[in-house]
Amino acid sequence: MELKELQTAWSQLSQQLNKQEKLTNEIILKMTQDKYRNKFKTLNTYETVGAVVCYIISLFVIINFYKLDTWYLQLCGVITLGFLTIMPTLVLRSLKKIKNLDIIKGTYRETLITYTKEKNHLLKLQQIGIAFSFLLMFIVVPVTSKIISNKNIFHTQPEPIQWFAVVVALLFVTVITRWGYRSYKKITDNAAEVLKDLEA
Amino acid sequence: MGKETVFANLIREHQGLLFKVTSIYTNNKEDQEDLFQEVVYQLWKYFDTFRNESKISTWMYRVAMNTAITQLKKSKRNSNSVPITEVILNRSETKNDVLEERLKLLYQQIQDLNPLEKGLMLLLLEDKSYKEMAQITGLSESNVGTRISRIKAKLKKNMAK
Repeated sequence: MELKELQTAWSQLSQQLNKQEKLTNEIILKMTQDKYRNKFKTLNTYETVGAVVCYIISLFVIINFYKLDTWYLQLCGVITLGFLTIMPTLVLRSLKKIKNLDIIKGTYRETLITYTKEKNHLLKLQQIGIAFSFLLMFIVVPVTSKIISNKNIFHTQPEPIQWFAVVVALLFVTVITRWGYRSYKKITDNAAEVLKDLEA
Repeated sequence: MGKETVFANLIREHQGLLFKVTSIYTNNKEDQEDLFQEVVYQLWKYFDTFRNESKISTWMYRVAMNTAITQLKKSKRNSNSVPITEVILNRSETKNDVLEERLKLLYQQIQDLNPLEKGLMLLLLEDKSYKEMAQITGLSESNVGTRISRIKAKLKKNMAK
């Protein structure tokens, strides 16, 4: 099929659509009401719920911080708090930026460049999050163990079953982290290509 | 005539344009409905800012296309959507199998294009002049020409496969 034929098909579609005037003023005006909007709502909900969970856990760690009685447990606590508060805040900020992109000022090219940059920023943040979650696994365990069971795992000899659990968790997190990191890398690389072409 | 009525008449007059833009940027009916609704919302939100410096349709293309590229994909539909499924997004009444088949092929070809090429392809199909394409996309007329040639070559190669 040639381009000419595609254009003919498109033109036939246009004629068909012109004959079909079915939208009523009532339906159109309904669409202008904010309560019917759905843009980003789902994505924002997931990210906001995730952030709230992180903030609640942070609060729990802050309240019980006094239980972390050695310098290394305190260091683990601080890193945990940093990760749980900074990462979700940065992700929410990035989402807000994308949501508030001014679609009226810029041309298609400008909007595409700004959007691709912001989206890339968000993806990079999520990519970093995945990479850090691997490290976080080793840091959160001593903190929660001390706070919840008052056990300093640096001083206890793990049972064989605990070693087994650690190995399984390690394998699981390694696979997930590698997969997630590579998937994000592929998307961000594609976005970078689009940007390069747009800015050429 | 009130502002609402003027706006609603404008949308009714250009509903084909909105249908076509939203169909290019989505892969299924549900996403298209959501995008259609979002575009109408954005047009309404910025309706007062339209200054007659360009044709109203040029302005509408720009808002619709800019809205389309800034939509993040959602995994779930929101139940608040206005049910327009059977209102505008249904071409079944005048079903033409040959046309449907050609359109299917056309959409398949478009899906392989990057966002900028997609926008230019839409405007090419809409038979817009290079000048108007340049106004909407922000590219220079010569750049539009170069990119259109590239798109044509790409399509030719894909269709030959």
